[in-house]
Amino acid sequence: MERRLRTFRLLPLLAGLAFALIIPLLLGRNQYAMVLATTVLVYSVLATAWNIIGGMAGQLDLAAFAYLGLGAFTSGTLLLRWNVTPWIGMFAGGLVAAAFAALIGYPLFRFGIKEVWYALSSSALVEVLRIAFLMWSNIGGPVERYIPFHAFSLYHMRFASYIPYYYIVLALLIAALAASYRISRSRLGYYLLALGQNEDAAEALGVNAQRCKLQALMIYAFLAGMTGAVYACIYGYIHPSFFSAAQSTEIAILGIVGGMGLVYGPLTAAILLVSLKEFMRANLGSTLESLYLAVYAVILILIALFRPQGIAPWIRNTFARGLARLQGGKDGARAASARP
Amino acid sequence: MAPEPLLRVHNLTKRFGQLVAVNNVSLEIAPGEIVGLIGPNGAGKTTLFNSIAGLYPPDAGRVTFRGCDTTGMLAHKMCKLGMSRTFQVVKAFDDLTVEEAVRVGAYNRHSEKEVAAKVEEVIAFCELTEIRHHRCGDLGLAPLRRVELARAVATEPVLLLLDEAGAGLTATELSGLMAIIRRLNQERGVTLCVVEHVMQLVMGICQRIIVLDAGEIIAEGSPAEISKNPNVIEAYLGKRAVL
Repeated sequence: MERRLRTFRLLPLLAGLAFALIIPLLLGRNQYAMVLATTVLVYSVLATAWNIIGGMAGQLDLAAFAYLGLGAFTSGTLLLRWNVTPWIGMFAGGLVAAAFAALIGYPLFRFGIKEVWYALSSSALVEVLRIAFLMWSNIGGPVERYIPFHAFSLYHMRFASYIPYYYIVLALLIAALAASYRISRSRLGYYLLALGQNEDAAEALGVNAQRCKLQALMIYAFLAGMTGAVYACIYGYIHPSFFSAAQSTEIAILGIVGGMGLVYGPLTAAILLVSLKEFMRANLGSTLESLYLAVYAVILILIALFRPQGIAPWIRNTFARGLARLQGGKDGARAASARP
Repeated sequence: MAPEPLLRVHNLTKRFGQLVAVNNVSLEIAPGEIVGLIGPNGAGKTTLFNSIAGLYPPDAGRVTFRGCDTTGMLAHKMCKLGMSRTFQVVKAFDDLTVEEAVRVGAYNRHSEKEVAAKVEEVIAFCELTEIRHHRCGDLGLAPLRRVELARAVATEPVLLLLDEAGAGLTATELSGLMAIIRRLNQERGVTLCVVEHVMQLVMGICQRIIVLDAGEIIAEGSPAEISKNPNVIEAYLGKRAVL
């Protein structure tokens, strides 16, 4: 029973992976479709990483693009100044972002900044960084710093096509999912879920909430920082506008809408919502400029009203019920109601 | 020489603004005891508990646990040292299943490899097998209190503080809970301190009772002594009841 269940759960995952791998073969000719697919993946990585601090630990973080920007500037600067390959810059970017997260997170968690206050502080962080990098003319400044173009250079991580970027970000997504899955099955994961729901109770059971939150924040920042390095190469420049409060909020929205604390929740939301939004922007953008935002907002409100647990549990339950109907009998029905 | 007490509270005072919730309280708990802490509403029982267990630091006085000065020590460190607690107002992990909630406690003393076995053992001990896969948020008060007890037991405490574990339970539920508490004390040698309003539970399981009123200890003794003590009756029922 248990084993059968596990295979059924693995099946959609493997199917999804296979599908993700062949997407460039199907859409490779269509440049716009590849941009869209890559954008969806970038958002998926960030939302999956966000889930560790936001979904599991329950801290409403609004600073995803602060850590992404730090990664982008670290890797970009290393490449522009010292010709260091972004493959190394990626890890340097992750480390800088994680170190910065530790610097910010330590005092925040030490003095018990949580809930709305944590949200506000993290949102302010993005804005502070944006302005700091605008002023810091050695590294940032108001003018874009272009990363030299190469039609195909692995060393510089510069490609004329989006297909290599697609695969690089896909690899990041798989890493983020794997990290997230491992955490969810470990001591840290259980501790994060517990403290996210009731910090006093978790502390009374031996959970060092401050340290766990800091670990979660650093892992998330590391993944966002790595993504930032690739992000800079995709766009071909680095600029303080990378520190975007609006986009950071969007990552949190994807995490919440997908289903808090579920490993695949943010991924599901990113795939559905980001494609939908970009599709609407492309198609409605020409008729009425910001109509797509209004439609997007209505969809979010509907989800908040009718599926407050998130869309991933809803899809999973529908899928499990269908499966149960196919199998028939009590076993199937029980499988449908069991938690992942 | 008397054996070293497990817990020693020395002249502990806790104020909230002008209100002195706990005033200069001293008490000792010996290893293996079941001590009851009773008193009318607002007597300062929960405040005393919280100051001992590290939810907030006391304003004055010392707490010594297992020979260490633990005054103002954080709750998670107290738990590592062997003191665990339950809460008066249930603090559940709504989205976790019963099994997962117990697992959070079991990680306190067990590695990733051993933790599953500990969870099994505690679930069996606290009679939670039937509801192990239920979400905590879907449970009623009685099973929730048992889950709270179970996850505290899973941390393998030396001293367990129960804050009104019996409140709101029916007679049957209460006797089930008392049986678990008794076995915890007899089979595992866990020392217990219970804050309680439900006299059936206090009189039924406690060997020694401490009575608190208006932040001060007014009486101490065996259940039989306490139930006859005029100070206690006065504190609970008022002066005329003593006549």
